Amino acid sequence: MFKAKFKAKIIAVLLFMGLVGLCGMRAIGGPQSSAAQADHPAHETWRKEFDDVCSKTQDAMTFSQEELTDLIRRCDALLPQIKKLDESQKKVYMGRLRMCRGLYAYVLDAKRNEKK
Amino acid sequence: MPTCLMRKGTRRNERGLLLLVLACGVLLLGNTASAQVYLPKPLPEPSEYGKVILDNYSTTGPGAVVFDHWLHRSKFTCRLCHVDVGFAMQAKATGIRASTNREGFHCGACHDGKKLFEGRPIFAACSDAANDQQCDRCHSLGKKGARKYEYKEFTAKFPKGFYGVNWEAAERSGVIKPVDFVEGLSVKKAPMRSREDFTIKAGYSWVHPINFSHEKHSIWNGCELCHPEIFPTAQKGTIHFSMFSNIEGRYCGACHGKVAFPLNNCQKCHPRGPLWAP
Repeated sequence: MFKAKFKAKIIAVLLFMGLVGLCGMRAIGGPQSSAAQADHPAHETWRKEFDDVCSKTQDAMTFSQEELTDLIRRCDALLPQIKKLDESQKKVYMGRLRMCRGLYAYVLDAKRNEKK
Repeated sequence: MPTCLMRKGTRRNERGLLLLVLACGVLLLGNTASAQVYLPKPLPEPSEYGKVILDNYSTTGPGAVVFDHWLHRSKFTCRLCHVDVGFAMQAKATGIRASTNREGFHCGACHDGKKLFEGRPIFAACSDAANDQQCDRCHSLGKKGARKYEYKEFTAKFPKGFYGVNWEAAERSGVIKPVDFVEGLSVKKAPMRSREDFTIKAGYSWVHPINFSHEKHSIWNGCELCHPEIFPTAQKGTIHFSMFSNIEGRYCGACHGKVAFPLNNCQKCHPRGPLWAP
């Protein structure tokens, strides 16, 4: 009789602990806010790449055609990642990427025409 | 030749001449009418120039926002706001909302209550904790005395030009030092390399060439604000820049005539003026 009661208590305690554990997991690993998404390492990667690619606009005229082509390719590779962002962030960074890519394409076009 | 035939010929000539005069008159009137359409708009007071009313979503509640370019351009470059922060160059195209400001975009990119400017925190835009007086600082349309800065007092020590403040002289003399970087948003860049200034041949033989300063423009705009969206090609002769297109708000008119110095002073761009000028 005592053993049965003891077993039932242990099962109840284990069940309770399991439930608490599950709830805790949910609280930590549940749907993330946009701010949390921005801090996620995967999302930081696009920002680092964006900063690196678009930090060179001041020097665009000094790059070779090959370098400019590579910068344009990197801009194009960033686009799908930026499209996944929250609405406001997406709008801002898509605009910035468009301008940054546009400038490299503009300079590349100018250099190609210079050679003709 | 018989006299009657001669008279008929003279009458025909007279009629032809009359028709020619009428046709010329119609053409002249037509041209004058169209020329009036393309005249630069009469200028408002310098304090009103570049004023933007933001009333997309805020006509109810706190009311429309009044944004004065003169206040912000004395502190920041055009590039910072129109590239890094993402404000569109056309009115009503940005989609600013109180919620986007609170999320740290648009006005909230700087106005977050935390970022410092000249040693003081920049007030938070659309903060839940703001009282009516604080809201009215931006939502100020039709509210006298709501704004903190007034044009006359604020620009009193700035050098003046043919129309209000001479911003170029203000920047050159160090009276203003427009900031081009916002922490957390802007990308750190190497200093701008000076680009050569050049002249652009005017489209009409009676106007002297335009002296274009790449250096002056790049201080405010960087490269990507103008190329390729405003000036889409570097190939000479492929675009015909005319005063008509400028007045319509294209090319130079994307800024000049809206915020940058207006198109009413020819000699700012054509320093030697028209050919008949002394």
